[in-house]
Amino acid sequence: MKVLATYNIKGGVGKTTTAVNLAYLAAREGRRTLLWDLDPQAAATFMFRVRPRVKGGGRALVTRRRPIAEALKETDFEGLDLLPADFSYRNMDLELDDTRHRTRRLGQLLRSLSADYDIVFLDCPPSISLVSENVMQASDLLLVPLVPATLSLRTLDQLTRFVADAGGNRPQVKAFFSMADRRKRLHRDVIATLSREHPGVARSVVPALSIIEQMAERRAPVPAYAPTSRAATCYEELWAELRPA
Amino acid sequence: MDRAPVTDLEDAEGGSITPEAVAAALGDEFSVGFGRPSVVRDAYLDTFDRRLGAVGFSLHQVSDSVDQRLVLISPGADAPLTMPITTVRWPALVTDLPVGALREALAPLVSIRALMVLDEQTRRIRRGEVCDEDQKMVARLELVDEGPDAVAAPARLSVHPLRGYGGEARHAVRRLVAAGLRRVRPVRDDSMRRATAVPQVTIDRSAPATALLVTEWCAYLAAMRANLPGVLDDVETEFLHDFRVAVRRTRSTVKLGRPVLHQDVTDRWEPALKWLSALTTPVRDLDVHQLDLPVMAGWLVAADPDDLQTFAVQLRRRRSAARRSLVRGLRSARFRNVLSGWENVLADLSRPSREPDAGLTAGELAERSIRRRYRRVLRDGAAITPDSPAEALHSLRHRCKELRYALELFAPVGDDAAGKRAVADLKDLQDVLGRFQDADVQKQMIYGFTDEMRAAHAPTKALMAMGELVARLEADQRQARAGFDRAFARFGRPAGRQRMRLLTGAR
Repeated sequence: MKVLATYNIKGGVGKTTTAVNLAYLAAREGRRTLLWDLDPQAAATFMFRVRPRVKGGGRALVTRRRPIAEALKETDFEGLDLLPADFSYRNMDLELDDTRHRTRRLGQLLRSLSADYDIVFLDCPPSISLVSENVMQASDLLLVPLVPATLSLRTLDQLTRFVADAGGNRPQVKAFFSMADRRKRLHRDVIATLSREHPGVARSVVPALSIIEQMAERRAPVPAYAPTSRAATCYEELWAELRPA
Repeated sequence: MDRAPVTDLEDAEGGSITPEAVAAALGDEFSVGFGRPSVVRDAYLDTFDRRLGAVGFSLHQVSDSVDQRLVLISPGADAPLTMPITTVRWPALVTDLPVGALREALAPLVSIRALMVLDEQTRRIRRGEVCDEDQKMVARLELVDEGPDAVAAPARLSVHPLRGYGGEARHAVRRLVAAGLRRVRPVRDDSMRRATAVPQVTIDRSAPATALLVTEWCAYLAAMRANLPGVLDDVETEFLHDFRVAVRRTRSTVKLGRPVLHQDVTDRWEPALKWLSALTTPVRDLDVHQLDLPVMAGWLVAADPDDLQTFAVQLRRRRSAARRSLVRGLRSARFRNVLSGWENVLADLSRPSREPDAGLTAGELAERSIRRRYRRVLRDGAAITPDSPAEALHSLRHRCKELRYALELFAPVGDDAAGKRAVADLKDLQDVLGRFQDADVQKQMIYGFTDEMRAAHAPTKALMAMGELVARLEADQRQARAGFDRAFARFGRPAGRQRMRLLTGAR
C-alpha cells in the first residue's frame, strides 16, 4: 500500500482538487484506492457528496475506540473509498498529542487497512502541525501543489527542510505547478525557472481552468464529468508521472 | 468492513420487474436511475486444473459495449477486485495481464498455469443506481435477464450496497419487498466443479483388483486426452507435465497389475507406454530448464545474468526442435493407435470376466504390491554407500516413485491414515533424491549445451556463466547427497515400518 499526501503550508493551492482527481484516476485503472479527507473544511468529502460526519469524531478514530474501517464510505466511483472529514478534525492535533507514538498514529491507523487498499491519498489541511508530522511519517510521497509565484520556491524549500528535519520516515517530496496561467509572464517565468533548477518539480502543470473550478458545483472529479477536457488530460499526465509502480 | 451483502430479488408472482416499478417503490425516499439495456458477456476463467475454483476464487471477464474488465471474487472478501482490460487473448499467463492488485492476487494462485475461458454466458442487463437526498449513490442496481433465451422482461433485480451505506440499502430492499418483490435465495453453482472434479474411487477391498486398476487407468487416460490439446497448442508447460504424469502413472500401475493381467497385455502395453513417455521427455526436460533459468541467473556471482542470453536462445531453439518432434509423434498414427488401443483394453477389462482372473482382490494386490515395493526401497537404499554411483540413487528414486504410485493407487482400499502418513514419510526421501537427480540432469544438459555452443563460437562469457551454473548445481547435488542418509534413516524408522505393516497386512 502506497500513501500519497497532497500537502502545502498554504491554503487554496489545489490540494483537494488534486487529491480528488488523482484518487479517481488511480481507482479507474483498477487500484483499490482510499482518500482520507483530513481537512475539517471537508471539501473533498463534499465533492463526493458524502456527509462530513464520523461517528465519535476524530477522537474515536485516533484513540481506536471505533475501527477506522467502520468510518469508510464508498464513493460513486468503483474502487474509490472515502474516509470522510469531520468538523472535530480541527482538534486532531490535541487528540494526537494525547496518544502514544503521537507522530506515528495516523500511519498506524492506515496500516490496519493495508490489505484492503493499494493506494491511499491524504488530503491535508494547510498548516504545519502534529497532523502534518503524522502525514510525513505515514507517507511515501508528499505531493505539493505550487501556485506559480515568486514565493513558491521559498515554500518548497521550507517544506523540504521540514521533512528533512522531522526525523523518522522521509517521504519523497514532489512539487507541481497548479492553477498556472500561461498568459501571465510571471507564471511562465517561475515555471520555467523552478522546473529547470529544482529536481523535485514535476514536468506536468495543471492550469487554472474553469472546468476545474466546477468540481465544487458538479461534486465529482474532472475526468468523470469532462473526460476529454484539457484539465482531465493534465491530471492524467500528472498521474502518469507520479503513479507508483 | 461495513459492506452489506448483495440482495437478489424477483417478482413474487413470477412476473417481470420494470425500472418504472423499482423507481415507484423507492420514489419518495430515494431517487432511482437506470441506464440503457446492454448485453453483457460473462466469461468464466480459470486454469485448466481449476486452481482458482479449488480455493474458492472466481474470475470473470465481463464485457459490454462500453468496456471490459476482469472481476476476481475472493472468498470472504468484502468486494471483488476489478481491473479494466483491453487486449488480453485467452489462454493467457498471469504475466500477460496488466500490472495491478488483481494480477498480484492471481499470481500465487495460478502460478505458471494459463488462464482460459471455461464457460461463457450472455445476459441483458440494465444498470441503475439508488441515490439519497444528497444525490449520493447508496446502492447499485442490476436488472438481469435470466439467460439468452429469456424474453425481454428482466427477471431479477440485484441490489449492491455501497460500503458505508448498508443501512440505506437495507431500507431500500425492505421498500422493494413491500412493493411485491421477494428475496431470491442464493444458489451456489457447482456444476463446473462437479463436471471437472476427479472422481472419487469407491471400491471395496474384496472387489477384483482389475476393477480398481481399470478405474484408475480410465482416469489417467481421461487426463491424457484432456491435456492433449494444450500440449499440441503449447499453451503452457503444465499441460505436458500433467500429460506425462498420467502416462507415468499408467506405466507404473500396469507393472503393479502384472499379477492380475494376461501376459499379452503387459507385453504389448508396457513398451507402448514407455515409447509414449520417452516421446515427451526431451521437451519436458527443456521446459524445466527454461523455467529454472531465471532462478539460475540469480545464482551468478562473477558472471552477469545477461551472459546467459546466448544459452537462453540456444535452449529455445533446442526446445522448438524437440517440440516439432513431439508434435509429429502426437499426431502420428502410432500415437492414435496407442491411445485408442489402450482404451479398447480398458473397455475389455471392464466387461464381466469370461474366465476367472488370477483371483486377487484389490486388497490382496494392494498388500502384495506395497510390500514388494517397500522392501525394494529398503533393500536398495540400504545398499547405498558414500561410494555408490549417481545411477544407484537414480534407480532408488525410481523405486520410490513406484512405491508412491502403489500407495496412492491402493489408497481407496487401505488404511487411510496410515497410507497418508506413509506417503508423507516417502515424500521427504523423494525430495532429497529428486534434488540430487534434477541437479545431475541439469548439469549433464548444460555440459551438452556447452559443447554445442563452443563449436558454434559462442561468447566466452556465456560459457563461463554456464560454468558457474554447473558449479552451483554440483554444490546442490552434494548437499542433497549429504542429506540422503538422514532422509533414508527417517524413512526406515520403526514408526514407518509399523505403518507399512498396517498397509501390507504383515504381522
